[in-house]
Amino acid sequence: MNKDLLKALVKRVASSVLTLILLISFLFVLVRLSPGNPTQKFLSADFSPELAQRVTSSFKLDQPIAEQYFNFIVNAVTGDFGISYNYRLPVFTVVWQFLSFTLFFSFLSFFIQLFLSYGLALKAIKKTNGRLDKFLSGSSLVIYATPSFVLGVFLIFIFSAKLDLFPSAGLKSLDFDSFSLPGQIWDYFIHLILPMITLSFAGIAMFYKYLRDNLEEVYRQNFVLNLRASGFKEKTILKKHILPNAARPLISVAGIELGILLGGTLITEVIFGLPGMGRLMMDSIFSRDYPLVVGCAFTAGLLMIITNFIADLLKMKIDKRMIKGLMN
Amino acid sequence: MKKILIILTCLSTLFLISCGGKKPGGNNRAVIGIPADVSTFNPLFAFSVDEGAITELLYMSLADYKWNEAEGDLEAIPMLAKSWEWAKDSSSITFYLRDDIKWSDGVPLTVNDVVFSLDVYSDPIVNSRLYGIFDDFYTDEENHIDAAKTFVVKSDYELQMNFKPHSSPDFVDINHPIIPKHIFEKYARKDLETAPDNFNPVTSGAFVLKKWDKNQTITLAVNKKSFLHDPDKINELVFKVIPDYTSRLTQLEKGEIDLMELIRTEDINDLKSNDNIFLKTMDGRDYEYIGWNNIDPKSFEDKKEIKPNKLFGSKETRIALSYAINRKEILEDYLYNYGELAATPISPIFKSVYDSDIEQYEYNPEKAKQIFKDEGWTDSNNNGIIDKDGIEFEFTLTMPAGNPLRPYEATIIKNNLKAVGIEVNVTSLEMGAFMDDIVARKREAWMASWYISIPIELKSFWYSDLESTPLNFTGYQNKKADKLMNELTVHLPKERQKELYYQFQEIMHEDQPATFMYWIADIIGINKRMRDVNITPYGAITHCWEWSVK
Repeated sequence: MNKDLLKALVKRVASSVLTLILLISFLFVLVRLSPGNPTQKFLSADFSPELAQRVTSSFKLDQPIAEQYFNFIVNAVTGDFGISYNYRLPVFTVVWQFLSFTLFFSFLSFFIQLFLSYGLALKAIKKTNGRLDKFLSGSSLVIYATPSFVLGVFLIFIFSAKLDLFPSAGLKSLDFDSFSLPGQIWDYFIHLILPMITLSFAGIAMFYKYLRDNLEEVYRQNFVLNLRASGFKEKTILKKHILPNAARPLISVAGIELGILLGGTLITEVIFGLPGMGRLMMDSIFSRDYPLVVGCAFTAGLLMIITNFIADLLKMKIDKRMIKGLMN
Repeated sequence: MKKILIILTCLSTLFLISCGGKKPGGNNRAVIGIPADVSTFNPLFAFSVDEGAITELLYMSLADYKWNEAEGDLEAIPMLAKSWEWAKDSSSITFYLRDDIKWSDGVPLTVNDVVFSLDVYSDPIVNSRLYGIFDDFYTDEENHIDAAKTFVVKSDYELQMNFKPHSSPDFVDINHPIIPKHIFEKYARKDLETAPDNFNPVTSGAFVLKKWDKNQTITLAVNKKSFLHDPDKINELVFKVIPDYTSRLTQLEKGEIDLMELIRTEDINDLKSNDNIFLKTMDGRDYEYIGWNNIDPKSFEDKKEIKPNKLFGSKETRIALSYAINRKEILEDYLYNYGELAATPISPIFKSVYDSDIEQYEYNPEKAKQIFKDEGWTDSNNNGIIDKDGIEFEFTLTMPAGNPLRPYEATIIKNNLKAVGIEVNVTSLEMGAFMDDIVARKREAWMASWYISIPIELKSFWYSDLESTPLNFTGYQNKKADKLMNELTVHLPKERQKELYYQFQEIMHEDQPATFMYWIADIIGINKRMRDVNITPYGAITHCWEWSVK
């Protein structure tokens, strides 16, 4: 089994590396072939027309794409994705400045989504077709279908503009540095509460629906009846038998959802003025910051692969028969 | 359950305590909302408008400017230089610097910093934003200033700058933010762009950088050692990065920010009813136009050959198009008259050279139809579209995405032109793709705007040499206009200048290379607690060390 596991792991890592190489290669060429170019911002009556030419040359954009690509790959192997045109810093230095917030924000949102949906699903399943179950099942679809920009603007309008309970945007107050540690934590909390609701609502609804339906399906199976008849406690049946079976399909979805969150939560970041990967990626695309576009896509791709891999490992932990299938 | 209740109670208590009337922007601080963060604090690389404005607060220049309302022109006022003196033939200028200015690390600022700064600005390796503009200086073949010929250091605080014979240096070409030599000389010139000191700067201006939370806030503290410091004025200036327009507006309404530019006209009524906000406008810096491609795009793209455009090549046709478009309707109905009709690219703010007697092409579809008919455009096949030599007058009007004014304008224009027998297809492009196309002069007609420079800059936009003027998107060519623009680049007596500008406006009006729509006012919302905010066409946040709060 260990040999099989090792082989499967090597295969999985190799395919992941290949995916990433294809991703950055495809993007590298695509952004250069797309309309627009990074020197457009140097076209102004305030600047000399020669400046744009000089910058084009200094960015090495006057070289053939094949030559640019070769140089890029040679450097990328050493982890050097180049210097961001806008930030004038190495690509991964810039990415890290934004990724740290995204990691914190996404994981927090992810766990809130999981725990709340788990709690609600358990409550609802206790009385199938009860009032709570009906309400949650009905509303989850509406919540899932509500675009985050609508929800975000609505929350700002009600809780910030009208009731003045929460700040409308930003990560912290201007006087943040003068607060005590609990004050600073509280400041983060009140700034993040509306963005967190905006970001998590749809996820809670989605996870809830998955978990609730899976739980219901597993509950109906004969082995549950058998266990009950054998005198097992309801808690033991739920914890040891129902949940692992019901959670398996959810783990795949959760892995993808976490990957998406880590790739940037663009709309929430823009509406609430938060410094995350989504905004960084969007700005880099609009300003044609080619090295940063590739760096952001690589990071998002890598995180997506890692989260899916972790999800697969979790599934494997639940059901060891899945090793071969999952690793392939 | 009990535990949850206890936690909730604690959180609620904390929340209520924290809500106790805390308002950012309290004390002596002004907060400005901006849509995007800066990427540097080094004026060498301050390419965006906000970067330029912020670096000018951090780094002093030899002189500053104030707007002379009566003349409609900039007036240089002493800053680093307490005075200056031009040679009678304008072949040199001598600056006398203040001897009490120090960098924020305590090192005195001297003429050596000035010489170093201009040398670096013009160095081709650096790729500074000012590269290539030092035509009047002694330079080498790569436009790098020849320091030996140009600068005569008479003392630590007296500097003479010499210019090429027969050149016509302008003060704005000489006067730029000065950077510290002792900080930046340690870097190789090619590494200046990525120097760590660009982000943690040693400065000399009215403010020093206190803190930069990337993509969140830029906090400037007043420089208490500066001769500009006044304890009764603001002591902190914060630029808050809020990318979303609606969020920025909400923060202005809530008092979380004190000033916001580029307010949309649809929000004016809400803001006017807000007791805490007043509105000001910055007029005459931004004009909207419809660009007509004067040349045939295909010939230009394929062979770089200049041929008149089949639809827009004749100036009479372009005049007819201007008559056919109801600019006033858009100005009144969408912009609520926050602006004024434009006749030419010379703004009314330049009072001493603006020709107010030029008649606007008022909306007159009948006159437009008559001109089209005189030009041979008639509806020969009765399909509702005028045609000439087998070509129907049908074209695509392109607009960059993102500005809500444009779709509104496009609808009016489409209907207006339909009424005179012209079919318009409207399309929108992402800004980068849009720019690519109009720089290559590929598009037939487009909607865009220009944010104009002060002092007036014309050659970049309207000069006939299409190779050296990438901003002449319309491909406009007129030898007489070229001659006027060339003459205007040298120092002239004011009367002569006025005469030439008047002639230029006349030509623009007659040629209509574009339909000049209107000068759009930049509407600025300001919290009423702010005092001494002087908005001029020169800018909204210039001289903000003079601001105070109630």
